[in-house]
Amino acid sequence: MFSFIKKYAESMNGIEIYPKIALVLFGVVFIGMVWFALKADKDYIHELEQLPIDNK
Amino acid sequence: MEVEKFSYDNRIVRNFAYAVFIWGIVGMLVGLIAALQLVFPQLNFLEYFTFGRLRPLHTNAVIFAFVGNGIFMGVYYSLQRLCKARMWSDTLSKIHFWGWQLIIVLAAVTLLLGITTSKEYAELEWPIDIMITLVWVIFGVNMFGTILVRRERHLYVAIWFYIATWITVAMLHIVNSMELPVTLFKSYSVYAGVQDALVQWWYGHNAVAFFLTTPYLGLMYYFLPKAANRPIYSYRLSIIHFWALIFIYIWAGPHHLLYTALPDWAQSLGTVFSIMLIAPSWGGMINGLLTLRGAWDKVRDDVVLKFFVVAVTAYGMATFEGPMLSIKTVNAVSHYTDWTIAHVHIGALGWNGFLTFGVLFWLIPQMYRTTLYSRKLANIHFWLGTLGIVFYAVPLYWAGITQWSMLRQFTPEGVLKYPNFLETVTAILPMYLMRAVGGAIYLTGACIGIYNLVRTAMQGSFMANEEAEAPALSKEYHAHSNEHWHRWIERRPVQMLVVSFVLVGIGGVIEFLPTFLIKSNIPTIASVKPYTPLELEGRDIYIREGCYVCHSQMIRPFRSETERYGEYSKAGEFVYDHPFQWGSKRTGPDIAREGGKYPDSWHYNHMDDPRSMSPGSIMPPYPHILDHDLNISNTAAKIRAMQKLGVPYPQGYDAKANADLETQAKQIQASLKNDGINCSEKKEIIALIAYLQRLGKDIKGENAPVTANK
Repeated sequence: MFSFIKKYAESMNGIEIYPKIALVLFGVVFIGMVWFALKADKDYIHELEQLPIDNK
Repeated sequence: MEVEKFSYDNRIVRNFAYAVFIWGIVGMLVGLIAALQLVFPQLNFLEYFTFGRLRPLHTNAVIFAFVGNGIFMGVYYSLQRLCKARMWSDTLSKIHFWGWQLIIVLAAVTLLLGITTSKEYAELEWPIDIMITLVWVIFGVNMFGTILVRRERHLYVAIWFYIATWITVAMLHIVNSMELPVTLFKSYSVYAGVQDALVQWWYGHNAVAFFLTTPYLGLMYYFLPKAANRPIYSYRLSIIHFWALIFIYIWAGPHHLLYTALPDWAQSLGTVFSIMLIAPSWGGMINGLLTLRGAWDKVRDDVVLKFFVVAVTAYGMATFEGPMLSIKTVNAVSHYTDWTIAHVHIGALGWNGFLTFGVLFWLIPQMYRTTLYSRKLANIHFWLGTLGIVFYAVPLYWAGITQWSMLRQFTPEGVLKYPNFLETVTAILPMYLMRAVGGAIYLTGACIGIYNLVRTAMQGSFMANEEAEAPALSKEYHAHSNEHWHRWIERRPVQMLVVSFVLVGIGGVIEFLPTFLIKSNIPTIASVKPYTPLELEGRDIYIREGCYVCHSQMIRPFRSETERYGEYSKAGEFVYDHPFQWGSKRTGPDIAREGGKYPDSWHYNHMDDPRSMSPGSIMPPYPHILDHDLNISNTAAKIRAMQKLGVPYPQGYDAKANADLETQAKQIQASLKNDGINCSEKKEIIALIAYLQRLGKDIKGENAPVTANK
């Protein structure tokens, strides 16, 4: 079943770069998201939090 | 802007609500029976209703039938209103509903018949797995279709939780259910041993995360503000904890495998990420509870808020306890004991149960345009439920600690104080009884609640289609001045789906690839050989009866375990186990090295009536295994399937398999005859004895298979 993936994964030199990229990518995205969430416009946040209450 | 008129579909919500009532009672009742069977083993009647078959029925019923329908009920109500659009397709709604109920009925029938994969919370065999995939896709298409035709541009946080739930459950189900069918009712996992354990608990823990948690967090984010008539405490917090939660949760799976043969690095990842998980989980709890800041007096008068407050508090408790149980030193105490069960039920009864009741108590009066039939009954339900949770969990905490402390105790001379596992079971029977009482109290409350809701519906008039109007979405969108990427993604559900998928995929990939590809993670043991055909058939009987529900096959490297059970389990011993049978609970002793401990005749008598060999045992009797002939019509097909999965049987062995099976069976028959037992070699018990006598012997190099294995 995994022989297909295995064949390529085992022979790739430097495959360890991929988890490193994943970590960096995740870190950047996560920190950016936290920055946004803390800096977001107050009125915009107010608009969003009213969504379940306003509609009927 | 032109205002469009449309209507919300309440019928589908009502249908799912009724399904919640019915399956809730069924699922909890099966749980109660199972709990009573531990105290009164005579309640294990007929081969269909033994504990080993009832337990998976209970878990499947309460998770997929009770909570599952609860999810759909809440999602179908809230999604339409948050999108200001009717469900994209009424037909798909109906197919989803009936498809899901059909799956549940099939699950009930097949599980009682012993048709099971033995993988926890994924026991249903492959035809039903395919049905689940189809129905889940239909749900996703309907949900996404609704989102795409929405009249409210911004996706409220509840919708992100629904999107993440959908994509992650799809990923988990498909990856974990990879199995090679042998017959219509039987398949073998493509994974084996350690790898299967890792995939199984990546799935199992994330079934908790993305079936029991994220969709219910979505429901909390909608129904709590609705019921309290106040916005959620911190929308910013909801954004942060959403992304953190879905990324971190996936990695936590290995915390189910601490001190097992899973490679150390994977265990450590599981522990670390489980502890980190406290933060985003408590973010959700804080958001829920603090929504009521300054308005706690409302809780006193409103039964919906009462249920919600206890639900969110139970969520906080369970998501603190879980990480604590993921610490290796704590896990060494709790693993395989009733502490784990107590933990599960705080979350299940408290978080899932109470949130479901709270939503129902809000939703039914709303849809039937009336008020609740009886506030008094609702309060009684609330108190019975709360008491039920306490009476359920506390005895099991006590049982877990008591049993652990007995199992690990040594005398001053250096031998086990309680060498017989059965002594520890007898000691905790009173706690088992109390826990059954707790469950009965909870179930009584649930019945009262459902009666109340049915009376409410009867006194009201149902609004099948709720008229609404909203302006159509403008084609142009004028961004606010400081537009940031997150605002960008909040308007783009497809991108949110893709990004969520990438994030939840990372943990799985990083934990799986090294386990699967790096040979040193599962060191080869040369003396470990595949099961003989007779042993394979015996193993399938073990799976059918659900023996793994009470017996583990994984000895941890603790002196108290090696003294009791034998050499601790090595990863390389399980390479041919499709699926793995490590188990997760010891209601009975571990049997990883059962092979050769007792004569064949002991096993014969023990399966017929456990109490004849172990007085006071609570194990169910299995006389039908002694009576039924072994079905060998599929043995050849099973060998071929195993070969396809990489088990090194010789080429063309499937043609010889039954001949070897009969030879080995006759040997066991002869040994039974020596001890005065007359049994045909064609009976199922022969195969089961063969399997049990093989367990754990390979590493001693003493295995005596009849065949010439490679």
